[in-house]
This record gives sequence, structure tokens and C-alpha cells, in this order.
Amino acid sequence: MTAGFQFDLCNRNRLLESKGVQGASVTKTGTTIAGLVFKDGVVLGADTRSTSGSTVADKNCEKIHFIAPNIYCCGAGTAADTENVTGMISSSLDLHRYATGRESRVVTAMTMLKSHLFRYQGYVSAALVLGGVDFRGPHLFTVYPHGSTDALPFCTMGSGSLNAMAVFEAGYKDDLTREEAVELVANAIKAGIYNDLGSGSNVDICVITKGKVDYLRNHEYLQNKTYQRRHPVTYGKGTTKVTKEKIIPLSELTIQDGDATAMDTS
Amino acid sequence: MAAPPLQLHTPASIGPASGPGDIKSRPAWSPYDDNGGTCVAVAGSDYCIVAASTRLSTGFSILTRDCSKLFQISEQVYIASAGFQADIRALQKMLQTRNVMYQHIHRKPMSASALAQLLGNNLYYKRFFPYFTWNLCVGLDPEGKGSVYTYDPVGSFERVGYSCQGSGKDLIQPVLDNQLKAASPLVLPSENWMTALPLEQAQDLVRDAFVSAGERDIYTGDCVEILTITTGGVHRETLDLKKD
Amino acid sequence: MFLTRSEYDRGVNTFSPEGRLFQVEYAIEAIKLGSTAIGVRTTDGVVLAVEKRVTSPLLEPRSIEKVAEVDKHIGVAMSGLTADARTLIDHARVECQQHRFSYNEPMPVESCTQSLCGLALQFGEDDEDKDRMSRPFGVALLVAGWDEEGPVLFSTDPSGKYLKCKAHAIGSGSEGAETTLLEQYKADMSYPDAEKLALSTLKQVMEEKVTATNVDIAAVRPSEDKLGQYKLYNESEIEAVIARL
Repeated sequence: MTAGFQFDLCNRNRLLESKGVQGASVTKTGTTIAGLVFKDGVVLGADTRSTSGSTVADKNCEKIHFIAPNIYCCGAGTAADTENVTGMISSSLDLHRYATGRESRVVTAMTMLKSHLFRYQGYVSAALVLGGVDFRGPHLFTVYPHGSTDALPFCTMGSGSLNAMAVFEAGYKDDLTREEAVELVANAIKAGIYNDLGSGSNVDICVITKGKVDYLRNHEYLQNKTYQRRHPVTYGKGTTKVTKEKIIPLSELTIQDGDATAMDTS
Repeated sequence: MAAPPLQLHTPASIGPASGPGDIKSRPAWSPYDDNGGTCVAVAGSDYCIVAASTRLSTGFSILTRDCSKLFQISEQVYIASAGFQADIRALQKMLQTRNVMYQHIHRKPMSASALAQLLGNNLYYKRFFPYFTWNLCVGLDPEGKGSVYTYDPVGSFERVGYSCQGSGKDLIQPVLDNQLKAASPLVLPSENWMTALPLEQAQDLVRDAFVSAGERDIYTGDCVEILTITTGGVHRETLDLKKD
Repeated sequence: MFLTRSEYDRGVNTFSPEGRLFQVEYAIEAIKLGSTAIGVRTTDGVVLAVEKRVTSPLLEPRSIEKVAEVDKHIGVAMSGLTADARTLIDHARVECQQHRFSYNEPMPVESCTQSLCGLALQFGEDDEDKDRMSRPFGVALLVAGWDEEGPVLFSTDPSGKYLKCKAHAIGSGSEGAETTLLEQYKADMSYPDAEKLALSTLKQVMEEKVTATNVDIAAVRPSEDKLGQYKLYNESEIEAVIARL
């Protein structure tokens, strides 16, 4: 068994597709994610909607993933790819810390991510905003699905990236305070939530400073329904008719001694 | 959404020139768009409810949060349309003109059943370049009972007790089927196709259906416009939906 | 009588200095030569009674058609040049079918009458349309029908004019018949009484004795679905009415 993906079903799937068989659909996080460097660290933000086509698959998902105690990463794209790619790099960095006994560096995470994504030529569709604080100070990177990266003071990703970037371009200044930075990122995410149909629900925020992380899950909660049903329909007992009933008392049950197969421990 | 690959040197700029005349490089263009939105109609024994969301969108963008999908033809007859906004407008304009002509010639307003047939004919007339619209024709019949006609884009139509069209159809129609007790069309003699719900409960159901569809369908949101048609007149209300 | 009309009666498009269209007036005169047709409207039906001139025993009386069905709910009786009536009736039939196709409902009787008059008025127009005549139609019609308003009776003439009537007569005996109708029509009369009035009035103005073969009677009366339906009487039904005279 070798590491990595198995491609042995690709040819079969291509054949089926040419005969009109529909492939499986994947859950996308049509998303707004954003990150910002401020005076003392990095602020990451994300909405919480995940979609499957035009349907909302999850109204309150988590898009800010843990990488290391001092590094977090927002993910947009195919949900499975963002979750797994961040998880893999997270565990690699864990091992790396055991081996070196030092705090992980943000560039290390970034380099591991881009080399993984580049290897799969864009087929691992994860668009990421990676942020953290290490001994060199705060760092913020974007990682594109094909493996290219940018190091920027502020950046956005996902289907709502233009909405969020508009807010950043209007409001960004160097050396913002923590409060100003959190508010600006939250506003950028809300621009995506309200104006991009792929983004929605709540605002998650993660503030990383030297030696401290504040993961503000549902920093802004925007979920209230506008109407409650006044005549809810209840289904009384017996709505589904019982046509046959058979009760077996536990006392009548006997335990059969069969030929138990030994667990395969080879 | 996956961002397009960032390319520092596009193949076109290095390789042989491929100008706008190159057929292969021409982007596919479609005369159609889907602007989303959901319509619901419920017929009762002495009322008819018709409702539609007001969000207009294209792709992942919102064009406007306040665009009515309901169109009045005569005093008690409306059509509700979802789909491609340009086709909806063209259809409404044509029906409006035909209604004015009808009133001049016959000196009476068009009934729901007359409009239903007219709409059916005009949709079928464009069988091979259809109006990209999903319609409901709604009103009261001569006995004052609610009447709802439901269409496909090429003019197949049927009188029903309730119906849902548009982007939220997959979410709402099964709920209506469950709550409004659709008798199977195969049951003979045909029975109970019009809901027995009192008006207030039917309105409650319609409001809840839209609020719930707004939670899960990205094209349904912002606001819903609900009209209740009775022999006494038409009552209009709006209900806010989530804006995300 | 025609001395003053001089050359102004040649073209159908030319008014005389007194403001008259002589060709239209002549066409109206043609109707006064036609067989008599009578229509009477009651609250539960409209009856049409027409005279058939069986001029020779060698004629097959059934081949003389002076009443015709336009749609399920509309019938017309004619007087004058009945060949011209064919063109008008064909037109009305098409209009009624088109209305049913477009709106899934019967055409209102007045709309149908108006459409007939529209065609009657189009004579002399320069157009490629083959349906249009170079002269006025020499025929008058009684249009009986039933729509949302209930039973209705209209009368049309070659000028394109139409009138809504309670009772009306057209053709050679129309003047005499009108007098009788004026005297004997009552707003609340029953349908059988209207049948009797129509036929007895026709009998008065006819030269021959009324038989089941030289008159036709048609009715627009309510059917099972409450809407009026056109029906042509058969011989025994006509005889039953004659017996009541």
C-alpha cells in the first residue's frame, strides 16, 4: 500500500461518464473567508454556510481550521479537500514539533500546503487563507488550489472574496488595533454573507497574537427566523396504523453458543 | 468556490495567436439565465392565496432584493412566474396586451380559466424556443372557489388545488403535498383536490413554507409578497425573509 | 322611385350628395324579397322560425337550409341571398372556434355578432383578402344564442348594423310579422308560448299553408350543463308545434 490517493477507478469513471452516468456531487463551501494583519497579530474570519448546488447543506459549519497552536487556516472550495488538507498538514506539523521541539513556523505550513496542492494540479480544490504568529512575528498567506501563494497584509478568498475585498480596500490601514481589526474583518465577512449567495449565516473570527489565540465561534449570530408557525401540525399517536404486533419477552431469549471466530490480529 | 488558476503566462500569449475570430476560443453564450425565486399558490373553497419571493439573482449575485414576481391581469386574476426575468417580462407584457384587447372586444374581464388557456397557448407557441418561465395562473372561478393552474415552460397545464414553482419547489412542494392532502389523480371519483384548510391556517402554512425555504434555498430570500384573493377583494401583505 | 339616384348608385364606395350609400340600401331591399324569418327571445330560450319556399314538388325540402348552427350555443336564421349567408356563417364558425381555442370558453354572442357585422362592412375594400366581397352582402341574419348574460337575440343587416331584440322578423313578411309580434309579445312569456307566437306569426305572413316541410324551427335552450344549446327541430317536433296553433 502506497501513500496518497488511489487513481485506479479513474478510467472506469471516465467510461461511465461517457455513457451518461452522473458522477457524485460534492459539498462546496461557496464561501467568504478573509484575513488581516494588525498591530499585534493576525485576524482570520469566515462565514458558516456550506452549499450543495443551490441548497444550503450546513447552516453553521466551521471554516477556520486548526493547523498548530499558533496557526489557523480558513478554507474555501470543496469541503472535503479543505478539511483533509488542513488536517494532514496539522498532523505533519505536530510530528515536526515533536521532532524539533520548537514552535511551528507559518511558512512551514504554507510550504507544505502549496507542495501538496501543486502535486495534485488543482484537483484538490482548496483555496486557503493561512495565518499565524511565530517567532518572526505575524504572517498571512493565501494559497490557491493550484499551489501558488501570496504573502499579503490583507486578503480574501471564496465566492464572496470580491465583496469582502471591497470592504478591506475601503477600510484597511496599517497597524490597526485589535478591536478595529476584528470589526473590519467581521464587516468584510458580512459583505459576503449578505451579497454573495454562496455565503451566509454567521461570522466566525479567530484572533491570533503572540502566545494567545481567541477563536470567536459565531462572533456574530444572524440566524433568527422571521416567522414562527401559529398552527403547527402535530401527528397524534396512531397516525401510522399498527397492522401487526409481536412482543418477545427478554426472558424467552436464549444465548446461543456458536463457533466464535477469533479476531484477526495478524 | 474554487478560484480560477492564477496564470502568469497564459498559453495564448506564448503560443500561436488566437484572436476573437477563432471559433474555439469564443465563450459559450446562452440566451437564457435563471434568476431564481419561488412562487406558491393555494386554492380554498372561498379564497385563493398566491405568494412569491422578491429576490432576483444571477449566479451567486443578488440583482435586487425587491422585485415582484406577481402580475395582475384583471381584478381577481394573477400570474406568478419564476425563471428568466426577461422572458417573464415579455410574457407579462404580451398577456397584458391580450387582456386589454379581450376587454375591448368582449366587454368583460378575462376569467382565470380564459387566461389559463391563453397562457397555455402562448407558451406552446414558442415550443422550440421556449419562454424560460415557470408559471402559476391564479384566481377565483365563477362559483367563487379558488383556482390554481400550474404550467411547464412549454405550455402543458392543469388545474390543481395548490402548486409551487421556481427554485424552492423541491423544498416546498412535498410539504404542501403532505399538509394539503393531495388526493392521487388516479383515485376515482376524483376527490379533495381543493384544500379544506380555513384561510388563516393556509396563510400560516404559506408563510412558514417561505421562511423554511429561505433557510435552505440560496435563491429564496429577502422578502415574500402574499396576496389573498376573495370575492371581497385582494389583500396584500409582505413578510421579511433572511437577507443572507 | 329611383329617378333621383342617377349615377351615385354605381360604386359601393361613393356617397350620394344626400349622404346615402345606394348599393347598401339596394342590398337591404334584396332582403325584402327573401323568405321570412322570425326570432323570439324568452327567459328560458330563444326560438327561430323560418319559411322555406318549396317552389316545386320536385325540390327536396330538406336541402333548403335557412337556419344554421354557428357554435354549440349560437344559431342563425337568414333571409335574402342565402348564398351570401354561407360566407358570413363560415366566418362566424371560425371566430367561435378560435375563441374556444384561445380562451377555453364559448364566445359571447354579441362578440360573434359584432364579428359578423365587421365582415359585412368590409365590402369594397381594396385588399388581397379573398374573403372580402366587392358588394355588400345581400342577406340579413337573426343571431340567437346563450352566454353569460343568458338568452340573447340579435338582428343584423347588410349595412353592418346590429340590434339586440326581444323579438324580430326579417324578410318579405317582416312588416306584417313585426305588427303581430308587437301586439302579442310579452316579456314574461314561456318558451312554448314563444314557439307558438313565432310559428303563428310566420303562418300569417306565408302564402302557403304551414306544414312540417316548408318551415324550419330552431332553438337555443338550456341543456344539462345549464348553458343554452342550439337545436334544430325535426319534422315530428315541428308537427307538434303546428298542432298547438
